[in-house]
Amino acid sequence: MLDATTRFFEDLDRRGFEPLLQKTSGTLRFDLHEGAQTTHWLLEVDRGNLRVRQEDREADTVVGTDPRLFGDLVTGGENAIAALIRGDMTVSGDLRLLLQVERLFPGPADSRGPRHAFQREVH
Amino acid sequence: MGATDTIRILDGNTFVVSEDTGDIEATPSEPTGLFSLDTRFLSKWVLTVNGERLNALSYDDLQYYEARFFLVPGLATHYIDAKLSIIRERAVGGSFRETLTILNHDEKPVDLEIRMDAGSDFADLFEVKDEVLNKKGESYAEAEPERLRLGYRRGNFRRETVVTSSGRARYDRDGFAYTVHLEPNEQWNTAIEVQTHAVGPGGRDLRMGLRAHGTERLALQHDLEEWIAKAPRVNSEHGRVSHTYRRSLIDLAALRFSPISLGGQALPAAGLPWFMTMFGRDSILTSLQVLPFAPELSKTTLRILGALQGTRFDDFRDEDPGRILHEMRYGETAAFEEQPHSPYYGSVDATPLFVVLLDEYEKWTGDVALVKELERECRSALKWVDDYADLAGNGYIWYERRNSDTGLENQCWKDSWDSISYRDGTLPPFPRATCEVQGYAYDAKMRAARLAREFWGDPAYADKLEREAVELRRRFNRDWWVADGEYYALGLDPTGRQMDVLSSNIGHLLWSGIVDDERAAKIAEHLVGPRLFSGWGVRTLAEGEVRYNPIGYHNGTIWPFDNSFIAWGLRRYGFAEEAATIANGILDAATYFDGRLPEAFGGYPRELTKFPVEYPTACSPQAWSTGTPLLLIRTMLGLEPHEGHLAVDPRLPIGMGRIEVLDIPGRWGRVDAFARGRLDLHNLAQT
Repeated sequence: MLDATTRFFEDLDRRGFEPLLQKTSGTLRFDLHEGAQTTHWLLEVDRGNLRVRQEDREADTVVGTDPRLFGDLVTGGENAIAALIRGDMTVSGDLRLLLQVERLFPGPADSRGPRHAFQREVH
Repeated sequence: MGATDTIRILDGNTFVVSEDTGDIEATPSEPTGLFSLDTRFLSKWVLTVNGERLNALSYDDLQYYEARFFLVPGLATHYIDAKLSIIRERAVGGSFRETLTILNHDEKPVDLEIRMDAGSDFADLFEVKDEVLNKKGESYAEAEPERLRLGYRRGNFRRETVVTSSGRARYDRDGFAYTVHLEPNEQWNTAIEVQTHAVGPGGRDLRMGLRAHGTERLALQHDLEEWIAKAPRVNSEHGRVSHTYRRSLIDLAALRFSPISLGGQALPAAGLPWFMTMFGRDSILTSLQVLPFAPELSKTTLRILGALQGTRFDDFRDEDPGRILHEMRYGETAAFEEQPHSPYYGSVDATPLFVVLLDEYEKWTGDVALVKELERECRSALKWVDDYADLAGNGYIWYERRNSDTGLENQCWKDSWDSISYRDGTLPPFPRATCEVQGYAYDAKMRAARLAREFWGDPAYADKLEREAVELRRRFNRDWWVADGEYYALGLDPTGRQMDVLSSNIGHLLWSGIVDDERAAKIAEHLVGPRLFSGWGVRTLAEGEVRYNPIGYHNGTIWPFDNSFIAWGLRRYGFAEEAATIANGILDAATYFDGRLPEAFGGYPRELTKFPVEYPTACSPQAWSTGTPLLLIRTMLGLEPHEGHLAVDPRLPIGMGRIEVLDIPGRWGRVDAFARGRLDLHNLAQT
């Protein structure tokens, strides 16, 4: 069974192009630390074109966190900016890249969005 | 806060609020301190000499980032024969630096024990007005041989204050001290540095490498000089307007703020002391006000807000795809999601105003590249207006918070809890819609239609937007017109019932162009009529309404920024004299505040109080008050970009004399505008 993080990156790789990142270029490496073990995910963004590899290579932005928190980020259980201010996630290099990629993370699963009054009346 | 006797210096979102001695002794009623990243890093900073507190002879706030205090020991009653002078010079810029100088005027040598008590409660900005009793993390203080380290830790959240000194100091957990021997006429000095750290697990600071300009004093000074030199010059016959302009320009420089993460670009923060952060609405409206004078602020505001535009549904943050953020914070309550500001999206006006600003910016600068760059963000913003904001399904922008614990109830600029009411004073249910926001939506669609046609190569989209705008205007004039009062309702409730009070919001409707031409004269008449116009400016709520209170935050006070957009709106519909009346009143009021308009002042009639009464807890300087004189100058001079050149059509009151604005930047290069006061406003008041 694939974990949420793997699914997230595989989905990005399959998507190939993300319009939200059309103005963004650069490489991000996510280092997911668990004990002595670190899993690396490298995301290359070239004007919205995406490519994912599992490599430990130099990147413009390096994000460090534990795998559990990252799994929560990519499933909407946690918010990346709050995690960053809280110190649960570290970033070195170009923080802008992370803030752009962060927008691809989903919202909380239980968030319903706007409540339209006319819809309420229907029920 | 007790605003009058506190001294504030700032740089970006680092600022110091202290007593007139330079001391800091924070209490809930005196929320002084050294603040950065929405966190208080010093809540105690008290200087004593031989155990005695000091008294202020005078102080200078030399520039927005530096101040100087002249002190003597002892009580006010007997300091006349003081034999010692103490000078504290301080500056912020990255860190907080203070230089102490002590002079011995006695004919005898003296031995001095100089001590600074230092401490920090690491309060979140949202906690400073409460007793900070229940911090969930732990504080620590470590006295090292070369420094004092004050810290706070909650999980991985760590904030530290590190104090060092050039002179040899003895550090303990509550401060540091010097033992000094001074011969007659000898002086001693030392430089103290206080660094604020937001420490991540790797020991790195959150803010590394993220500044718009250098933080050294000279770099700050150079930056300010450059900022002033780049802006147009304003000369006025009586010196009054030019003085207010210069004050505003300097305050605007101080309020520039580089959010963490966005590469050192600066946009206007909302205001000192409580709002030194990014606010969608405030940053956009301030950028609009100052466009003729500092167009680059618009560019960064648009880019930054565009980069943080909502992409998903997040009920805690009231985020939707396409929505422009309301407020960003970096403190503990945002970090631990006790407050939703990471960022919070709960405003309904920032999103249409984002589009308005882009169009207005292009008209001035001809920066087509930015219009193309932000096409996607504009389309998303307009999609939000249609798809997510229309909660009642009748074509208007509505709001109802989904975060019912910490979200904002009123998501328009009048965001206090009791600002939106019916004529009988009762508060309406949710969702609510306010009139000015419908005007912004109309304007956004009309302006986006121009952008789509001229720059995005999408005439079909332009036609669609225009059709929708025309339809919105038609319905708006039908549903919102209060027949018995002959003005537009402040709001609608979900049943379509009008909040039928007379409010300043109708002035914004003129600015956005949604008012039917045959009704405009009536609106203008209300705006300068006795119920709304105090003699200084337009009240947020008209005299005679149940909730009217001359010092009610949004229910009767006068907000300079509100007035500047009202004046602009009056001018748009050809009411130059009415616009000049308001401009004149607000600029008169500015002279009572030495050119620095507060957030709001009392709605008392001018002839009653003779001077404008400052609203008790008003923020100052506040960005959109600071931008107000600039927009009023634009309005009075009738500066308007027109087919690639700058049209000038001045309408000044007689008493204002001659005003010239030199080197106005834009797509035309730089041009000058001249005006002479010719309007006799006295006539207007009598008609």
